[in-house]
Amino acid sequence: MTHAMAGGHGVPPAEPEAGRQRRPLTRLWPALPAVLVLGVLFLGSMAFMVVFSFWRTVDLDIVADWNLDNYVKFFTSPTYPGTFVKTLVMAAVVTVTCLALALPFTYFLVRYVARRWQRIVLLAVIVPFWTSYLLRVYAWQAILGERGVINQVLLSLGIIDEPTRLLSYNNVSVYIVLVYVYFPFAALALYATLERFDFGQLKAAQDLGARPDQALRHILLPQIRPGIITACIFVFIPIIGEFLTPIIVGGTQGVLIGNPVINFFRAGQITQGAAFALIIAAFVTVLLIVFRRHLQVEDVVARG
Amino acid sequence: MRLFDRHLTRRRFLQASAGTAAALALGGLPTASRLFAQSGSFNMMTWSDHFYPEQLDAVAKATGIMPQISELAGNAEGYTRVREVGGQLDLISGDALWVPRYYEDSLIEAWDINELEVAKTLYPIAREFPWWTTPEGYLGYPFGWSPVQIYYDPAYVSPEPDSWEVLLDPKYAQRVMVENQPEEIPAYMGKYIGAADPYNMTEDELAQATDAMYLLKPNILRLAQQNTDTVSALANGEVWLATGNLGTDERVLEAGGPELKLFTPKEGTIGWMDAEMIVAGGANSANIRPWLEAAEQPEYMAQNFILYGRPLFNEAAYKILVDNGHQERADRFLYNQPEVAATMTLKGPSPSTAAAVEAFNEVFAAG
Amino acid sequence: MWSPVAERIDPLESMPVSPYARLTRRLLWVLAALVMAFLYLPIVLLVIFSFNEPRTPGLPITGLTFDWYAKALSNRVLLDAVRNSIVVAAIVAIAATVIGTMAAFALVRGGIRFPGAARVFATLPIMLPGMLLGIAILIFMRRVLDLQLSLLTVVAGHLVFTVPFVILIVAASLQGFDRNLEWAAADLGADSRRTVRHIILPLIWPSILAGALISVTLSIDEFVVTFFTVGPQLTLPIYIYTQIKFGVTPEVNAIATLMLGTTLGLIVLGMALVALRRRLRRGKEGS
Repeated sequence: MTHAMAGGHGVPPAEPEAGRQRRPLTRLWPALPAVLVLGVLFLGSMAFMVVFSFWRTVDLDIVADWNLDNYVKFFTSPTYPGTFVKTLVMAAVVTVTCLALALPFTYFLVRYVARRWQRIVLLAVIVPFWTSYLLRVYAWQAILGERGVINQVLLSLGIIDEPTRLLSYNNVSVYIVLVYVYFPFAALALYATLERFDFGQLKAAQDLGARPDQALRHILLPQIRPGIITACIFVFIPIIGEFLTPIIVGGTQGVLIGNPVINFFRAGQITQGAAFALIIAAFVTVLLIVFRRHLQVEDVVARG
Repeated sequence: MRLFDRHLTRRRFLQASAGTAAALALGGLPTASRLFAQSGSFNMMTWSDHFYPEQLDAVAKATGIMPQISELAGNAEGYTRVREVGGQLDLISGDALWVPRYYEDSLIEAWDINELEVAKTLYPIAREFPWWTTPEGYLGYPFGWSPVQIYYDPAYVSPEPDSWEVLLDPKYAQRVMVENQPEEIPAYMGKYIGAADPYNMTEDELAQATDAMYLLKPNILRLAQQNTDTVSALANGEVWLATGNLGTDERVLEAGGPELKLFTPKEGTIGWMDAEMIVAGGANSANIRPWLEAAEQPEYMAQNFILYGRPLFNEAAYKILVDNGHQERADRFLYNQPEVAATMTLKGPSPSTAAAVEAFNEVFAAG
Repeated sequence: MWSPVAERIDPLESMPVSPYARLTRRLLWVLAALVMAFLYLPIVLLVIFSFNEPRTPGLPITGLTFDWYAKALSNRVLLDAVRNSIVVAAIVAIAATVIGTMAAFALVRGGIRFPGAARVFATLPIMLPGMLLGIAILIFMRRVLDLQLSLLTVVAGHLVFTVPFVILIVAASLQGFDRNLEWAAADLGADSRRTVRHIILPLIWPSILAGALISVTLSIDEFVVTFFTVGPQLTLPIYIYTQIKFGVTPEVNAIATLMLGTTLGLIVLGMALVALRRRLRRGKEGS
């Protein structure tokens, strides 16, 4: 019987052509449940939204009046493209920060912490995120706000005379909270690949005369690249659709593109909201396609 | 099941069974998959402050009926849900002019609320609001109401304001808080500029309201997601001015904040009044009337007021409040003046909602 | 500073350590500690607020009380909501992990013609705002599938945005998998199933675990999609986010603290049990 793994008889498949005939169906069946969930449920749902985006909402009723207005409005308005670009920038900055924090953090975890403690620390990182997001963000307000912890500390230390508003209800606070919220995802993604890295290689490299940073750059990083890419995706992509953090800690300055989209839905303007969301998704998809070489996922051997 | 086995490593199996055991132990799975409530129940979607736990328990004891309550996130969300799930819900709450909208779309039934004995305890005016009256009957059982008011800290805000304009005053930059309601804020500005119907503004009026929103924006510290946000910000002095429902000042005091003053803007204000609507074709609707009969009793309404502090439409409850020494508070909340409710501009969907939200987004989505 | 237990000598520890490396290690430790402090600072405040007297959670602290805990524990609606959230999150985690892992295998090794496109497709659900997904799934489930809404439909909705995460993270781990190990196993007579079970899965389980953890995290606090796909039930996020008119009370902080405490307590308990078992086993071996 055929199995989903290549070879099976000790050496790499010698006759890829013969195997390829039987490959498609039998090798792909593990994807079936995912196809059901993503293919049927997701695509089926989105089909409605795609169609709706070309229709109109008249007085809360969706009317099958085919038009492009919803899309045109995005590009002809002075607000939306600008906010969209800003969102992309914010997402990028948060991603870089999360990586910059998560990489050394997970490196330390995998390299210097005993294995059974690693899981504990990982859990300790993620468990706080099983409390309510709203409560955590409120807590951030209590840290960053005018009467918050930071201000009180700074005031009592005499560093400032008046409470500062630099950290609240603006892009900075959105940035800080987004880093906070998405850090665990980056850490988990990096941990998954870093954990399998053989650190003996670094030692070997050093034995051969490489400096530590050279060893890191040329040996470690290339091997954990899939993990880094995954971490980037886990942080960058969801931030594009974020709206709750901007509302709660962003004030009127820290608005992201998710906010106007949500506003449309909350006011019952489903067709308009759908069009905007799809524009955003299309753009991000284009980005992913443009960078597809970096996102390579298929196993070189499997391709035969 | 050859390759399925591979996922059952010992660890995963333990994890899975632990998870299932926990779920079952918590009584989760059987009840979690219950689609319809068992007999003696019905499905209600309402605001979280309409009923309190002791009331529900007492009513369940008396009538044997215990509703399955789910929460409303907003009128538009509730409307979308009812449109899609129809009879899976039996009772839903809605604000003001949303109620006739539900009826127009045949989502709810009209009925004679005077069938219920307890309806006699309501203020007569609440049983006859024209916007809820149809030839086929009344559209909902009235619950409560509140106008939107402007609260301010007299220590920082002077002279004493009396108009929406105070929110636009540049000297209060970053000291104002307004609820995050994209359909409502244009309406507030509509009231300010004197639009005839703030929820249905002409292009011209909308343009003026948009200009007003541009003036409002730099003053706003943030848009409140929940009432907690407003109370919190007023209490710790981050903002000096805020819009809010009745009772906000009380909550601010209780949270350790300053004593606030409030006023109704001279241009008039928006308000909401809500009612419980019977969903058309609800599977358990037989349980609704007997339950309402018991749950809407004045004693419970009085206690609800004590808990949440905004006026309700139950007249007999006012007497109970007075008898129990709560008259001063009740009067402060305009409890005994339901006619004020009729003078508010009522919230509701309208043909110009789309334009209003677009205008709001133009202004506020710019960051 | 943690040090490895005697039974497993980490070969790296026996290497001569340059002062350069020692400094780096120290710095990394400080960074890790700072990161943990960063992660837990809001949590500490969250817990403190659960003891604060005022009805509105937040500063200033005016007085301490256990009232909110009492209220939370007697609030049946709230407790039901918590129970529902946990049940849903558990089911979603298991289901998403299984579905996602299987799909990751197919994605990386299935010989798909356009794997990049498949991967982009798998990423689509997470780039859309939750409200779009929520309403879309509601409409689809009601108009096309004619389903009654319940916690099961919530699970289905959650799967749509958790499965992509699992697929991506497991696929990344599978990508660099050293095939020699499999071929060696095959050389020794293992068929595919045993190879997977004893070679591949144990080595990629950290990514599976990570995927599971991410799924739990995403599901347990998910509000928007849940709101549209839930039947006449409540989950904790719905309970919290719909307190719009009158705001949340510290009851919610109390519940969150209890949940956090319970989870951390269970972890500590688990650790203690494992350590105990290890000690017992070593004791038996010794005698």
